[in-house]
Amino acid sequence: MATILETAQAAGCFSTLLTAVEVAGLRSALEGPGPFTVFAPVDDAFAALPPGTVQTLVDNPPQLARILKYHVLSGACLRADLTTQPEWTSLEGAPVAIRRSEPFEVKNSTVVQADIVCDNGIVHVINRVILPG
Amino acid sequence: MTTPIAPVAEPTTTPLIPPSQHRWAEVIHRLEAGGSMLPDTPENLMQIIGIYKAYAVPMDFYWRDLLYIAEQVFLDPLPAFKYFPSQEYLDLPNSYAGDQSQLRIWRGGEKAHPELLEFMAKGETTQMPKLLHHLWHDRINMEFAEACMQAMLWHQNMGGRFNDYLASDAYRNNADRAIKAYFKRNPVMLGLYKLFPEMFLEKVKQLSYTANLGLFWEVMAPVFFEMSDIYDEGGFKGVPDAMDFLVNGIFAVAGRPIYHHAFIDGECFEIIPKSEGFTWLYEAALPYVEAVFYRTSPFRGTKSYNAQAGQVPADQADFHYGILYADVFPVGSAGIPPTLLMQDMLHFLPSYLKELYRKHERGEEDQLIQLGVTFQRSMYNVTSAVIQALRAALLYPLDDTDPEHLLANRRFFEAQMDRFLRPEARLGAIQSQDYR
Repeated sequence: MATILETAQAAGCFSTLLTAVEVAGLRSALEGPGPFTVFAPVDDAFAALPPGTVQTLVDNPPQLARILKYHVLSGACLRADLTTQPEWTSLEGAPVAIRRSEPFEVKNSTVVQADIVCDNGIVHVINRVILPG
Repeated sequence: MTTPIAPVAEPTTTPLIPPSQHRWAEVIHRLEAGGSMLPDTPENLMQIIGIYKAYAVPMDFYWRDLLYIAEQVFLDPLPAFKYFPSQEYLDLPNSYAGDQSQLRIWRGGEKAHPELLEFMAKGETTQMPKLLHHLWHDRINMEFAEACMQAMLWHQNMGGRFNDYLASDAYRNNADRAIKAYFKRNPVMLGLYKLFPEMFLEKVKQLSYTANLGLFWEVMAPVFFEMSDIYDEGGFKGVPDAMDFLVNGIFAVAGRPIYHHAFIDGECFEIIPKSEGFTWLYEAALPYVEAVFYRTSPFRGTKSYNAQAGQVPADQADFHYGILYADVFPVGSAGIPPTLLMQDMLHFLPSYLKELYRKHERGEEDQLIQLGVTFQRSMYNVTSAVIQALRAALLYPLDDTDPEHLLANRRFFEAQMDRFLRPEARLGAIQSQDYR
């Protein structure tokens, strides 16, 4: 089995996310044993943000790290686990709401592929960047 | 032989969700269609763009001086010259405007705006030393900027993590180092600090909010300047275009760091370091809108409030003394309507707004009130941009086809409009062009 980052690398549709993880200095943390649950936005999700949004964050790694940490939970949670409670505390500190189980929706994103099991956690692929608030 | 043309299906016009029953249903439906709380009329567009321009010029002074106060004046016990930003701060290039900026999003911004510099030199009177302009009060009203900062400091807890950090040990330690460094040659002040440490800490917290507001407005000034330029060039087809420009601007700089650095004898003291991860959207823009547009505080002036008679809400969250609720008529009062800002904007009105005011009501005699109403319209448009940006960030696109999502958007818009159910709200008034 591969780690979360190796899995994302192999999928080929997370290049923005992987760059962001690198810039924010979160690579070594996400390569650790975890386990983590990662809501991974696809490249199109980042591209859908208004111009400048991603660049401002990339220029400011601590601020970028905060947004990325909102996409990560501590512990390995499968879809079946996540849907047992209405919200989960992210590593950023703010709660991530599980809005619907069918279709599976996390905050205002839809999970396009759930339960990708990795060495150090679980990845759920989402179609939108989620933001605290 | 001709190919038979298949009948074109009638486009379905059945809405996916039933109409809102809210008192402001008309406004909610407009927001759901991508519009603003302010009706889309050519005059509204002209009014709001004109006032953005008039607001941007003093704002270019406010943000520079706020940063000067927070970073350089710092704890000066007698800050008589705090409204005299150094040349360095007047020449400070904008972080997000102009080719020199670290991330160019808007135009201009190389240094202070020429119209501002011209006003600082001449004022309403004539060219004279700036101390005389100051004493004659022929200058930019920095007191308005400080009043906004105080509203943010006083209300606190309006989302974001800024206030939590101000209560942390890390902040206390950073402030302590800066206080001791600032007064290292002043044993009297150091003695007072030993006796009343909380008083000094509170003052540093106020300066942290001063930096916060300065960093917030550093972004808004070039946004408003560019909107004026685009309008002058024939851009913006209507009010929604102007609102969308603001929405895109909010997203573009959402991740801008909010921090507080103080420079003492050339050394930088990071009282709130950038590494805390505080952002323009969460720690500055949203608290600003809440504290200044909605809440502020009852003011001393031509209208008085009696707290014992329940005229002031017991809960700070229910305060409604911001521009969105202001009665613009009693000009001259100390708080809202923001008379000091209105007077600042009066100096920089574009000619088309002066012309408009001359044609209505009492012409030039009551243009301070007319521009106050214009400002109210323009701030309803800015608030609409904030509401639409939050909807885009936290909820669903307006053209989403899932009724559940559209209902979530509806609940959000209705909750926002609930804040305008109280009789003081001017949302109803701005729906008509006759409100001047």
